[in-house]
Amino acid sequence: MVKKVCDFWSDDAVSNLVEIKDVRFSRGSRMIFNGLNFSIPRGKITAILGPSGTGKTTLVKLITGQIRPDDGVILFEGRAVCPCSRQRLYEMRRQIGVLFQSGALLTNLDVFENVAFPLRQHTKLPERLIRQIVLMKLQSVGLRGAWEHMPSELSGGMARRVALARALVMDPKLIIYDEPFAGLDPISMGVIVQLIRETNDALGITSIVVTHDVAQTEILADQSVLLSEGVVVAAGTPAELCNDRSELVQQFMRGKSDGPVPFHFPGPGYVEHLRALASS
Amino acid sequence: MHQARAIDLGVGLFILLGIGSVLFLLMQTMGLTGFISGNTYRLQARFDHVGDLKIRAPVAMAGVTIGRVAKITVDPIDFRALVEMQISLKYDYLPIDSDASIASSGLLGGKYVELQPGGDLEVLKDQDEIEFTQSAILLENLIGKYMLGGAKE
Amino acid sequence: MSGLVREGWLGFREFVGTFGAFQMFFFRLLPYLPKALLRPRLIIEQIYSIGVLSLVLIMFGGFFVGMVLALQSYSTLVEFGSADSLGAFAAEALVRELGPVVASLLFAGRACSAVASEVGLMRATEQISALELMAVDPIEHIIVPRFIAGVISVPLLAAIFSTIGMLGAYLVGVHLLGVDSGAFWSNIQVRVDMYEDVASGILKSFVFGVSASFMAVFEGYYAAPTAAGVSQAATRTVVIGSVWILLIDFILTGFMLPGV
Repeated sequence: MVKKVCDFWSDDAVSNLVEIKDVRFSRGSRMIFNGLNFSIPRGKITAILGPSGTGKTTLVKLITGQIRPDDGVILFEGRAVCPCSRQRLYEMRRQIGVLFQSGALLTNLDVFENVAFPLRQHTKLPERLIRQIVLMKLQSVGLRGAWEHMPSELSGGMARRVALARALVMDPKLIIYDEPFAGLDPISMGVIVQLIRETNDALGITSIVVTHDVAQTEILADQSVLLSEGVVVAAGTPAELCNDRSELVQQFMRGKSDGPVPFHFPGPGYVEHLRALASS
Repeated sequence: MHQARAIDLGVGLFILLGIGSVLFLLMQTMGLTGFISGNTYRLQARFDHVGDLKIRAPVAMAGVTIGRVAKITVDPIDFRALVEMQISLKYDYLPIDSDASIASSGLLGGKYVELQPGGDLEVLKDQDEIEFTQSAILLENLIGKYMLGGAKE
Repeated sequence: MSGLVREGWLGFREFVGTFGAFQMFFFRLLPYLPKALLRPRLIIEQIYSIGVLSLVLIMFGGFFVGMVLALQSYSTLVEFGSADSLGAFAAEALVRELGPVVASLLFAGRACSAVASEVGLMRATEQISALELMAVDPIEHIIVPRFIAGVISVPLLAAIFSTIGMLGAYLVGVHLLGVDSGAFWSNIQVRVDMYEDVASGILKSFVFGVSASFMAVFEGYYAAPTAAGVSQAATRTVVIGSVWILLIDFILTGFMLPGV
């Protein structure tokens, strides 16, 4: 069974870098994905939207093979992502850059060594070449001047940019941004948006932006996928999503507090609850 | 790079210090045990009582350690304690009529075997037995004798 | 009452389960060990932060334990007129018992807790996930170098502890209490045995090093990725690590003591 999934091939790999087919995943008794279907086209920026708790981070883990779906298959470059072979998984991961929300820089290395880290681990390039590549990547995120700093000396936005340089240093085919806009001031936000756009177009790579920031998505994304309750609720360009007539999509895109996603956590009625407390 | 040098230096010194300490500890105990791995020959002696003589206890002559106790058993025929000793080959000139006694080094010190040289020209060889022995002096017995003697007076 | 029994049963099951998890993790580490020794860079860095930085504490501890030992035993020995055996007494206690045990306990408190919280914090700040996603095995890169560094450091620290302790005992015994210097060292030679005492002390400290370092990387690696989880990992490392050291010490001493 596992073998079969691993040997799965797709013919659509020319146009789509990642395909997600019928993915089901549950954690304990809680169903997180209930038949997820969509694909990530090559060379585009795809935003994955959804209210908190819809499993966006879980989706990143599934795509990178950190966890295995209960059912269904995820294809990268037409080949199934399978956690069953460590070697193949690592081979795939070298073609994927992931940008964590916190940056996840290695705290015991300075900025230069953090960016050089993947090169030192996976290649035997001469020191001179490593220095050139790293400085070039740092230059592209505008932090070449900070190459001697330790991660603890950087602001959140700067750490994220260093992490971006690190994610790019192996020239990946796909780069995944996990909540890249969370907790940034407007200037840093603008910088990150511009960097995502530029890297995508200049290097011809494919980007996935996992976020719940609708405003930035509208500027940035070529395609958006809205997740809720474990399925894709809507997909299309940001403009198409804004004009979608579904109530849930409208609630999310316009940020209304109540709607199909209720404001109140499910529970007994307020009055009944008070009465029950009073009588006990 | 500069920092890496400092780390290397620190680790190098640490390991040298550690190995030095192990050597120091071994040296402090070597004095006695150094030659045990060298060439030795075996001697035997029978005692009525060995007290609390232990394996590896020193064997000394005139206060100089020349070997150690290798084995302590009970002879199945005469039921005396049979003590086997390993003596350094450096000391291959012990007269055959030497006598062995069990002595203790201080009140709390351990027991050891003390050899008194005899006068014979023939020397003890490997697997020989020392004929003349004197057993351990048991403190309890001494006290008993003294009290008995004191009572008689 | 039945609730209490149930709790006990659950606790027991968890204990057995943890034991199983220890074994699983240990066997996961084993295949990495030879490979890790081929890349000593990481291990050297860890020996520095684990071993070298514990050195001052260990030397301080050893010196004072040695001095106290000399003071304590002198008052007893002098009553039996055996003050000359002071050196032997202190040396034997240090080499066999106090060196390995106290050095390992200090090591667990100083270095293992630091390793556990460092690794736990690496998990909490997603550094371990980041390594995974950069196709770098975190066990190979984070866990194994720390484990090996601990295993190498503890026997060395224990030997240094014993040596410094003997110097402390010498200082107090000879210079303060007036024991004869020659008698001090010669009694050590007579009483302390190379195989039984020194070798067993080194073996003990090696076993303690393995168990304390293992606890540290295990607790750190499986720490809950929260502030409470990281601090709990550090606490558990020190508490469980120390209990293990004392327990193993009892078992090993039972096996090693001659005549037991």
